[in-house]
Amino acid sequence: MSAAPLPLALAEVLARGDIWRGDTLASLPEKALPSGHPELDEELPGGGWPRGNLTEILVDRSGLGEMTLLLPALARLSAEGGWLALVAPPWLPHAPAWVEAGLVLERLVIVKAGKQAAWCCEQLLACGGFAGVLAWPEAGVDAKVLRRLQAAAEGRATFTWLWRPVSLASTPSPAPLRLALAAGEGGLSVRILKRRGRPAARPLHLSIARPGRLPRALVGPSLSLAAARSAVTEAIA
Amino acid sequence: MLPLEALSLRPSPSTIDSTAGTGTTAPTVGISATETKAGITTIEPTAGTSAVVSRGRVLACDRLASEAGVSAGQKLSTALGLQPGLAVFERDVLRESAALTHLACWAGRFTPTVSLSPPAGLLLEIGGCLRLFGGVAVIVEAVLNGCAEQGYSTRWAVAPSPLGARWLAQAGAGEIHAELPAMQSALAVLPCRIPGWPGEVEDRLNAFGLKRLGDLRVLPGASMRRRIGNGPLDDLARAWGDFPDPQKPFIFPDSFACDIELPARIEHAEALAFVGQRLFAALAGWLHGRQLLVRACTLLMTHDDATQTALELRFAEPAADEGRFLRLLREHLSRLTLVAPVEILRLQADEVVNKPGASAPLFDQAPPGEGVPACLERLRARLGEAAVQVLGQQADYRPECATRSLDVAPTLTRNFAHFSPLTAVVAVNAACKPQRPLWLLPKPQVLAERAGSPQWHGPLKLLSGAERLESGWWDQGEKGMAGDVRRDYFVACNPVGQWTWIFRDADAWYLHGLFS
Repeated sequence: MSAAPLPLALAEVLARGDIWRGDTLASLPEKALPSGHPELDEELPGGGWPRGNLTEILVDRSGLGEMTLLLPALARLSAEGGWLALVAPPWLPHAPAWVEAGLVLERLVIVKAGKQAAWCCEQLLACGGFAGVLAWPEAGVDAKVLRRLQAAAEGRATFTWLWRPVSLASTPSPAPLRLALAAGEGGLSVRILKRRGRPAARPLHLSIARPGRLPRALVGPSLSLAAARSAVTEAIA
Repeated sequence: MLPLEALSLRPSPSTIDSTAGTGTTAPTVGISATETKAGITTIEPTAGTSAVVSRGRVLACDRLASEAGVSAGQKLSTALGLQPGLAVFERDVLRESAALTHLACWAGRFTPTVSLSPPAGLLLEIGGCLRLFGGVAVIVEAVLNGCAEQGYSTRWAVAPSPLGARWLAQAGAGEIHAELPAMQSALAVLPCRIPGWPGEVEDRLNAFGLKRLGDLRVLPGASMRRRIGNGPLDDLARAWGDFPDPQKPFIFPDSFACDIELPARIEHAEALAFVGQRLFAALAGWLHGRQLLVRACTLLMTHDDATQTALELRFAEPAADEGRFLRLLREHLSRLTLVAPVEILRLQADEVVNKPGASAPLFDQAPPGEGVPACLERLRARLGEAAVQVLGQQADYRPECATRSLDVAPTLTRNFAHFSPLTAVVAVNAACKPQRPLWLLPKPQVLAERAGSPQWHGPLKLLSGAERLESGWWDQGEKGMAGDVRRDYFVACNPVGQWTWIFRDADAWYLHGLFS
């Protein structure tokens, strides 16, 4: 890439968040939210989760550490006094764990949206009072609905994460940032499917905090209850 | 149809002086409104012509009837002769005065100083509010539009003296006279037929050859007083602004309850929103007049079989905004199925709180959008109260009992920027505390066991020592409770990389949580 200064008009155009050079990442007009994972931040335009845009996270199996990936950002929003909303979560949130992650429960709203997740999401985005919205939209949500959500999010200070299955990776979506997650060696493998900037070359491997291990994994020949109990007494002894 | 001279707008002397730059007298704004049939009598909307009668004489009629020759003062028999299909309604004075009170409540949004001028007039003192609204023309337009929305047709005038405003309004002037001389010249051409003056005065003035108020005004006062009495001459001096004319202010009632008898039976809940708008407009004006906010109100629907349905509207935070009331009302009505057609709508304010004094921002920095409380309120209206909640912790060892759902705190507008002490304690203890999963399954899922090892998408590998959680004898056997449990919990991971929280009890392995 040439080092010659760009003509002024072109430089102005490139300062917009939605236009970028093919060999770089877009610079966002609004400050992004650091994800808490420096390797990931490097690969995201603006250096973090984009404000006022949809972020799609495609994941098939839960329990890979996908929520832990977001927790640093969520904890930061919550500590700053922001409201967070979980729209139609597929399981019950377990309050002690969320507190432990640093979230303020009084400002964590759970919306049991049923079939109206998209509508709820749009309302939450349009009201402008929420710092973060996490939504698990129903399976049939189409590009038209997503475009409406993106329009509702644009210009707001809200961070929006949509959880969708990996099978939709090849389906076009209006979300400017799309990540696909899979279990990786010792952590999480993050494939950036779409971002404002040059395409990502290879998946990122992030190390994600996992629940504490015992020094010795309990992999005995028989994992019956009795065996497990005796193993524990051994460990304690 | 009934003449209801509705509004006379009267600014206070001092304010108008400074605003309008007039001399010493109080400029008064007078608006007079006529009410069409709405709120007076039930009239089928499809009926061609209709009239309101009192003691066998037509009091008011609609446009179609007047085109057929029916006019006020006619005998009912004459009117029926002219227009055989005329729908006739008896005048109901009580409902007229209720309608006037309702309109006065609504007018509380424009000015705190509203005076009733029965039977059908309202005086609004707008001198102090001109700058707030941005001028006389703007405020008049807002008042007239509001009246039209509520189904009243208006005759109005704006003048520096209350009585002048009222007379001009009754004459249907529809003009703004901000200054005394302009109003006086407008009053001078009015005929000497003033409602409220004794009939003999009018006859005598006629006999003198005095047709207009201006003629009466130029005659020497003392001798006229001897001839026609003091009352009319005093009125004249008040109207001209020579005498002070204090008005008795309308006292906004202590509690709010307002009825509307619907012109036609309504069978669809959505259609009630339109009528509800009138009630909520009055509520918003009343709240403004008394400087209150409403937290809960009830919309009572009386059906044609005399049964009632109550629709309770609760707000996430006390509010006084009409637009917000209506949005919430529409959400509720869209979910409501009427058991029978509705005849009467009644709105009452159940819980009100004083409006806290708050400064408006000098620079408009509020983020766009309605804000969190209003949004949650709308979600709750559509999804139900239990669907929108925040989490709370509960001191219980059993994981399914450690979380409880709470209503969103009423104090949610407060800024919780500080670090909650509970969170701080937990953060300190985190290192020595066993970790908990973010998600729990609604019900523990039984896992298959192969060769002594639990299976979930492959064999689960145990990664932590057993953590015994047991207790709960106190709600054993109670419905919907977890009961007495004795479980050993493990963190486990399967070959596809899913981290789970599983437990073993006396019977089997169960999957209970996901470390996502």
